[in-house]
Amino acid sequence: MRSKQDTDINSVDWQPFYVTLKLAVATTGLLIVLAAPLAYFLAYARFPGKSLIEALVNLPLALPPTVIGFYLVVFMGPKGAAGRVWEAVTGGSLLFTFLGIVVASTLYSLPFAVQPLKAAFQRIDRRLMESAYVLGLSRVATFLRVIIPNSASGIAAAAILVFLHCMGAFGVLLMVGGSLPGETKVASIAIYEAVEAMKYREAGLMSLCFIPISYAFLLLVNRLNRGA
Amino acid sequence: MVRRSGCGWVLLLVSVLWLIPVSVSAQEKLNAAVAANFIQAFTEISQAFERKTGVKVEATFASTGSLYGQIVNGAPYDLFLSADEDRPARLNREGAGERPFVYARGRCVLWSARKDFCRARDWRTALRGEDVKRVAIANPETAPYGTAARTALVKTGLWEALKQKWVFAQNIAQAFQYASTSATEAGFCAYSSVMSDEGKKGCFYRLEEAPAIVQSACILKRTPHRAAAEAFAAFLASPEADAIKARYGYQ
Repeated sequence: MRSKQDTDINSVDWQPFYVTLKLAVATTGLLIVLAAPLAYFLAYARFPGKSLIEALVNLPLALPPTVIGFYLVVFMGPKGAAGRVWEAVTGGSLLFTFLGIVVASTLYSLPFAVQPLKAAFQRIDRRLMESAYVLGLSRVATFLRVIIPNSASGIAAAAILVFLHCMGAFGVLLMVGGSLPGETKVASIAIYEAVEAMKYREAGLMSLCFIPISYAFLLLVNRLNRGA
Repeated sequence: MVRRSGCGWVLLLVSVLWLIPVSVSAQEKLNAAVAANFIQAFTEISQAFERKTGVKVEATFASTGSLYGQIVNGAPYDLFLSADEDRPARLNREGAGERPFVYARGRCVLWSARKDFCRARDWRTALRGEDVKRVAIANPETAPYGTAARTALVKTGLWEALKQKWVFAQNIAQAFQYASTSATEAGFCAYSSVMSDEGKKGCFYRLEEAPAIVQSACILKRTPHRAAAEAFAAFLASPEADAIKARYGYQ
C-alpha cells in the first residue's frame, strides 16, 4: 500500500510547484520594494485628488482576472506598448516568459502589498519621525532608517499576503502565461490541465499539497499580526 | 411603525421576485455543452433551429476537456457537442450519454494576423522564419485541434526542432486570440475561426499533414427534454445545418 502511494507521488510532475514558488518569491521581493515608497506616499502625502490615486492602486482588487489578463496580453505583446519598449531594450519578448508572469502578478497583487504597508506606516508614532527630522535626517534617510525598521511586522504581513496571493494566482496567469513548462506553467495551471486531461489522481495529489502550505503561511501571518 | 412595515414589504417583495425564474415563458429550452471551435456555426444553427421549432438552445462554450469534466460531475446539459470522438464515446460507455454521432469534420490551419506570413513556400518554411518567435497551439493533451496540430508537427519533424516557439493555449479559441492580438506571430487554429470576421483579416495555410478532426456529439441521458434534444440532433444533420457548417469550413 505504502509503496504504491510512493510511486504515485513520484509520478507527479513537481516542476510547476517550483515555478509557482519562484514566481511567489520574485513577485514578493519586487513588490515590497516598489510598494513601500508608494505606500509611504499614500500614508503621509496630502494633496487634492489623492483618493483618485488610491482607488487606482486598489483597482486590481475589483477587476476580474480576465480583464487584467486580456489587457496584459495586448500590452505586453510584440505590438503592445510595454512589449515594444521591452523588445527595444532587451531584444526579447516579455509575454510568455517567466518575467512576463512576474510583471502580471506584480500588477495583480499590488493592493495586497500597498494596503498593509500603508497601515503599518500610519501606525508609527509621528514623534519618532519628527525627532528624526529635528536630528537632521533627510526624508529618504528617515524612511529607510526610522520608518522601515519600525514597520517590520507590517512589511512581513504584506510580504506573506503577496506571497500567498501569488501562490493562488490562476485566472491572470491562465490568460497571459502560455503554459510553458518550467517557465510559465505554474502549479494552479498544471492542476487545471491535469483535470482537463482526466488525470484526476495527479490533480488530486497536487491539490492536496496546496492546503498545508497555504495554511502554514496563514498561521504565520496571524502570528506576525499579533506581534504588531 | 408604518415606515418599518413598509420596509418589510419591500424586503418581502424583493425576496419573492428573487424566487421567480428570470424567464417565465413556457418556451422549451435546451442547454448544450459545445466545444469552443464550433462557436460561430453553432450560434447560427441554433438560431435556425429556434426559428423553425420555437425551441431555444443555449450553449456553454469551453474546451472539450473541461466540458467533459463538467458533465461527469453532473452538469445539467441536454447535449454535448465535442471536438473529438473519444469523449462522447466515453460518456456512452460510462452510461451518461446516448450513442454518439458525428456532426462535423474540422480542419486545423496555421493562421497569422500578418498577411506577409503566408508568402513562404509552405507552412513549414513559414514556421521556420527568423521573425516567427512564438506560435500558439491549443494544449495537445486536452484540445483535439491541438492534438491534430501536434500530429502534423511530429510528422514533419518540427515538433522537437521548433520546440522553443510553442506557446500553449487552453483551447482553440485562446490559440486564435493569441494569434489575432499578435501576442504570437501565428497560431494553429480551427478552419472555422479563419472564416470569422476577425479571421478574414489575416491569412492561413492548410495543414494537409494534420488529420481531420472528427467531432461527435451525444444526447445526455439525464436530459428531461429528450424529444427536443432528439429534434436538435436530427437538425444538426439536416441540409440546412450542413450549409451553415460548410460556410465555416466543416465537412
